[in-house]
Amino acid sequence: MIALGGLQIAHPVLNASGTLDALSAHAVLGDASLGCAAHVTKTITPLAREGNPAPRITEISCGLLNSIGLPGPGIDRFCAEVLPATAAIVDVPIVVSIGGFSIDDYALLADRLSPCPAAAAIELNLSCPNVKTGCLAIGSDVGETEAVTAAVRARFARPLFVKLAPGLADLASIARAAVAGGADALTLTNTARGMAMHRGTGEPLLGARTGGVSGPALRPQALAAVDAARAAVDIAIVGVGGIETADDARDYLAAGATAVAVGTAIFPDPGAPRRIAAGLVTP
Amino acid sequence: MELTEVAVAGVDRLGAYALVRLADDVPVGPPGTFAMVRDPVGAAFLPRPVGLFRAADGRPAFLIDPSLGIGSLARAERLAVLSPLGRGFVLEGAEVARALLVAGGIGITVFAGVRAARLVAGFRSPEHAVATSLVDAPATIRLAPALVTDDLDLDGIAVVLASGPAGMVRAVAAVAAAAGVPCQVALEAPMACGFGACYGCAVRLDGTWKRLCIEGPVVAAERLT
Repeated sequence: MIALGGLQIAHPVLNASGTLDALSAHAVLGDASLGCAAHVTKTITPLAREGNPAPRITEISCGLLNSIGLPGPGIDRFCAEVLPATAAIVDVPIVVSIGGFSIDDYALLADRLSPCPAAAAIELNLSCPNVKTGCLAIGSDVGETEAVTAAVRARFARPLFVKLAPGLADLASIARAAVAGGADALTLTNTARGMAMHRGTGEPLLGARTGGVSGPALRPQALAAVDAARAAVDIAIVGVGGIETADDARDYLAAGATAVAVGTAIFPDPGAPRRIAAGLVTP
Repeated sequence: MELTEVAVAGVDRLGAYALVRLADDVPVGPPGTFAMVRDPVGAAFLPRPVGLFRAADGRPAFLIDPSLGIGSLARAERLAVLSPLGRGFVLEGAEVARALLVAGGIGITVFAGVRAARLVAGFRSPEHAVATSLVDAPATIRLAPALVTDDLDLDGIAVVLASGPAGMVRAVAAVAAAAGVPCQVALEAPMACGFGACYGCAVRLDGTWKRLCIEGPVVAAERLT
């Protein structure tokens, strides 16, 4: 077993938030968690959200550009329906990713999740590039990061992860602020803001104009973020960004990550997390 | 269901299209369902959704337009396939014989093997229209700039099944609705995964954004909003 910020997990491979819907994976593939040692949910927000207009995705060189925009049922329906249904089919700890537009939003989400034992841990999404306010704006500010982490810490006693963006001007200070606020682990990183143009029309390819870059194109940035955070703080780190193979995962562990999360690589190959976890134990 | 890597048996020309036949068997879903297909050693990072059907030789096969980026799939020696995915056409046995199929371009592939009353198919060119041979039904071909909705005859038709570009299927749905004939449409959207994980294939259904890979790709026409 591995200790990841107070969470005991069987091996160091998780899924990245927003890249695995346990309910649909169970229904379509007959496999809810794809062999991940913990299941990280899609980010849940206080109120239901439709998400961003289509088109939401386009392939780019070595990766994916997405502007999904946090669609979801809102925290009340999540706690009443989605979380119990997920817990019924997932046999590993569930990390609930939460996102909001103010510190009060995050506090409300923590209040709702605290009495739900199925939420083994919370991951604060302070890094989504696809919503206009909150989230990344909070996670780009030292004072706000500490305040939002402390607000959730005061309401939620189980493990608390904080997910930060790549490309922060002063990642070390933001990471220390999360630790000061009471974070048990950092998740590094979310997608990097990007854009693609339609070469026929000259218009942005995505309905929301910009999106987030994920996949192998993100890996060097995410590795550098893990390296910078490791130099700044002592808590556990989950490395995320373009992990396709066990060797990619080893790069993150070598840079100081405690565990890794597989994201976009799940889309072309839902067997990726299981394959990577197996590859880590057999060199 | 797991990703299966299979050899390509061969690629045949079908007019302007390429028919890719697989050497090894993979599950082929009912008409309207789809498969995610990727060249494991190709440059593309993501798989692409294709309509998988059984070719004349019984092998799983799909049609692609080699003039598009996806054309590299026609040069692959092996393909990683996830199949079957999605929801296809909902047909009672008796209805199929009284179904009108309306296809636009490569959308015709979802009707391969469907024995319907009639087919109306629209194409860019006579070269593209060669794909009509995939469907075992009396066919009317409309070449651009003619439209599949021109003089669309619904006499004796119990259900309309439409597959093609978004504007075309909406126009067909409107004609069917005006005549009081039930209509099902196969929609298209960019997809990264095909199994509900990425939320990328959002389409406007029931007044909100929904995942086409889970809700469709075939939906009742009245759900289009």
